[in-house]
Amino acid sequence: MKKVRILSLISVTALITTVLVTAPTVANAAPACDGKSPIQSCVGVTSDGAPYAMQVPANFNGTVALYSHGYRYNVDIPAGIPLIGGYKVTNTPEPVPNGNAEVAKYFFSQGIAILGSGFARQGWNPDSAIKTNVELIGIFKKAFPKTKDVIAWGASLGGAITQGMAEKYPSLLSAVAPMCLADNVQPQLTGAGDFLWGLKVLFDPTIKGGNYSAGAAGVAESYSDLVKVFTVMGKLQAGIPSGAWPDTSSATGKALAAAGVPSRSALLLLGLMAGLPTQSAHFDSISGPPGALALSFPLAVSPALAILENGTNAAALAVLATQDVENQTGGAVFDNTKTDYAARIDGERVIFNAALSGNTVIDALLGALSAANPGAPRAAANPVAVAKMKALHMNTGKINVPTILMVGVADPITPAGASQRLVDLYVDQYAAEKAAAVKEYRTTREYKNPKNNLLMLWNTTPASYTKFSELGAPITTTPAAPGTNHCNFTTAQLLLVAKSLVHAANTGKLPSGGAMYTGVRKAGNLSIDKGIYFPWMKFYGDN
Amino acid sequence: MKAMNRRKLLTASAVLAVVGLAATAIPAQAREVGVSPTQIKLGMTLPMTGAASLGYNKIPGAAKAYFDYLNANGGINGRQVTLIVKDDRYVPTEAVAKTNELILKDKVMALLAPLGTANVKAVAAVVNPARRGVPVLFINTGFSGFADAKKYPTTYPVLPSYIMEAKIMGEYIKDNFAGKKIGLLYQDDDFGSDALAGFKTAGINFAVRVPYAAGSQTAAAAAGWITKFKAAEADVVILFGVSSATSAMLGVSAQLQYKPQWMLGSVGGDATTIKLTGVPAGVLFNAIGFSPVPATTDMKDEYVKLFSDIYAKAVPGSPFDLNVLLGMNTAFMAAQALKAAGPNPTRKSLIAAINTKGASFQNSALVPTNYSKNNHVGLTGYWVGKYSPTGDLAPIGGTYVAYTTDSGSGPVVKSNYKRPAMPAKGLPN
Repeated sequence: MKKVRILSLISVTALITTVLVTAPTVANAAPACDGKSPIQSCVGVTSDGAPYAMQVPANFNGTVALYSHGYRYNVDIPAGIPLIGGYKVTNTPEPVPNGNAEVAKYFFSQGIAILGSGFARQGWNPDSAIKTNVELIGIFKKAFPKTKDVIAWGASLGGAITQGMAEKYPSLLSAVAPMCLADNVQPQLTGAGDFLWGLKVLFDPTIKGGNYSAGAAGVAESYSDLVKVFTVMGKLQAGIPSGAWPDTSSATGKALAAAGVPSRSALLLLGLMAGLPTQSAHFDSISGPPGALALSFPLAVSPALAILENGTNAAALAVLATQDVENQTGGAVFDNTKTDYAARIDGERVIFNAALSGNTVIDALLGALSAANPGAPRAAANPVAVAKMKALHMNTGKINVPTILMVGVADPITPAGASQRLVDLYVDQYAAEKAAAVKEYRTTREYKNPKNNLLMLWNTTPASYTKFSELGAPITTTPAAPGTNHCNFTTAQLLLVAKSLVHAANTGKLPSGGAMYTGVRKAGNLSIDKGIYFPWMKFYGDN
Repeated sequence: MKAMNRRKLLTASAVLAVVGLAATAIPAQAREVGVSPTQIKLGMTLPMTGAASLGYNKIPGAAKAYFDYLNANGGINGRQVTLIVKDDRYVPTEAVAKTNELILKDKVMALLAPLGTANVKAVAAVVNPARRGVPVLFINTGFSGFADAKKYPTTYPVLPSYIMEAKIMGEYIKDNFAGKKIGLLYQDDDFGSDALAGFKTAGINFAVRVPYAAGSQTAAAAAGWITKFKAAEADVVILFGVSSATSAMLGVSAQLQYKPQWMLGSVGGDATTIKLTGVPAGVLFNAIGFSPVPATTDMKDEYVKLFSDIYAKAVPGSPFDLNVLLGMNTAFMAAQALKAAGPNPTRKSLIAAINTKGASFQNSALVPTNYSKNNHVGLTGYWVGKYSPTGDLAPIGGTYVAYTTDSGSGPVVKSNYKRPAMPAKGLPN
């Protein structure tokens, strides 16, 4: 979660507060409703203490949209920490994405209610959140017996929670939309761990990057890491033009610097091996300023700046989610003792060869990061903690109900590959369903083609979008480009998903045909091109 | 990625196509993307501007000149061949964006002759022409890996691999410069890795190897390279880089009066391009060069004669050089592939045509191609020449002696390939 998301969250809190009435003090009690018309607002608390909010239109048609919010840090962040300082843990319900009034208005216009829980615990919480949501659906149905269909959607970790519900409780749901879907905990934390480990062993060996102490001491260590990571990123940013290394660099890093390896190439390599996108909010890795840097900027510099921007956005979550999951499992969960980073970047080393300063530099960096280098000690996990982590809820990827996925192709936190995994797994599932249908045909002579239950919406980046000042400096104050940043969706895109969910709930089928193409086109920066493909998260290549 | 394979990829396309098929009315007779009753659209990305564009930016004009000639003579079964060209500036990420445009917006049937190892690899990884079933015809890179039909099932190299070139260079060095100190300038990526592999197979030990990162080939960098070659007292210096690297090196060497025995790789060895940068022709004199196609000044060669005539009419005043010849040769091969793909060519039939008939496609090269379903190896060798006092590459002794080999450990042997006569008027038959 980055600063913009935090700000969004604050605005959500403000919005929801306006519709809340006094919450009942007894958990699992019936919701307290204000009885207003045309929109009735209700609040309550599930048996685990999670507050929830409902808004039901007077013309309620029996369909309710349950939204699951994304990852929220589960510790307060001291004000002095850059970018995210001042955050306070909140479990305020979020019944529509970021409190989007247009989305709520659409649902109400269709006679559809909205519903959302703030969840009992923040941090990595699919296990508890899925239970909370199931209970919440029961509460809603009891309060509003007219309820026929529940459509569920969510963003980021809320996307994983939504998918998890659809896998475990498909009979409860008519259609789902996991947006900017988070992968399972191990792939997500492996990506985070790889990047933090790389920062540590090259740029600041005092970064812990994981294996935090238990309890408050561990939280304090994570605060310290946040400051160090942001400081290093700032120093790397300053060193982009010259290739200078941070003064905090390790002996390994200093040796590379002495050998003439630019720090930007080292940073890019870390990003590639962690699976960070090479396009970011303001850097497309294509554009260059007019003049001497027209070619060298996109070729040699822009990819590193994209990693810097994406890495900075992802770093806070990487540190805090690692600390949270370690706290839940009792020890270090990141392990790269057997990771082959050379294999990790085998595909990218040619594509970004110039920005990585050529094979000689790449090989020097990989040598420095290899397990054979005692100057870059690998991180070993606690097996008991890993076992506990693996016991946390994991999505299998099975598609049980009509499902709409939407993700930015350059999302740095929940990479497009996490959604691609579901697309690919559905291929097998669909093939099996088709084979079963053929087998059935052989005995009944009636062929029933299995219906397609998956629609993938790729939120694409423009062909080029980096802007430059008259002096040729890249401009980073403009809004993030479409398809970049985390869950960076427009209202039009969210509305398309909402409308598609409603269509699926009403018809049992995903939208198709010209109307859907028109909707996709009008929403803007979306593609359903079947040829688009993104690699799964790097973790899967290791296992 | 753990669980992905080609079967899954293809099935994925089929599944996702469910939505697409439902979206539009299916015509009685489905028409292939990029193919209409009157037109076949092809797309090309390559550096038209920027440092690496030197020389290569003539390839589209050359290909278009041939296609215009072809179209004036009836096209392919009555269809005109249209070539859409996009400038990728030799930036891989830009090649990805421009290729996406060609496939998704311009809706070309096939990609033709994209240039650069990194660019083609980036497109293969991100745009996924294989997954989309889009043919990538006769790529302008000699990276040996692209001949892997399993990994790149829709991609077809045409140039001999860099490994083949280095092996043939190595044999020449052993035969002619035994005991000399050899220096090598190479691009520090897969282009150069192939070269290193070839030289290693040939048993060449270098006194000095100087890598340069793509995009860093400037005059200032060249001065540094020369310092290294001088320090190593290299007698023979091989320039195995792009044209801009060769030109920078030769230009600065001329200024510094540095005069080793030059040996130029084919990628950066076009004399016209080098001279255009201001390098005096005399600097090239007696340099060793390699080419799979005839000398561009060889007007006795029927292909060179025809192609130079066509080009002179299409692009008056533009010198006919190696890039032009290769560009026209590629277009000529593409025309044969399209013709062989049947009266109503599809992407699938185009791929099948190359797999089954590609090895017999006629072209100007003096070495054979080796296409098959399981092997996408293009041309398989080079002839060796020397640059004349005017800077033109000509066969040593006035007769083409071509050598052929593979990208593995096979020997370098004299080719006994007899090039078939050019089809009538240089049109596909």
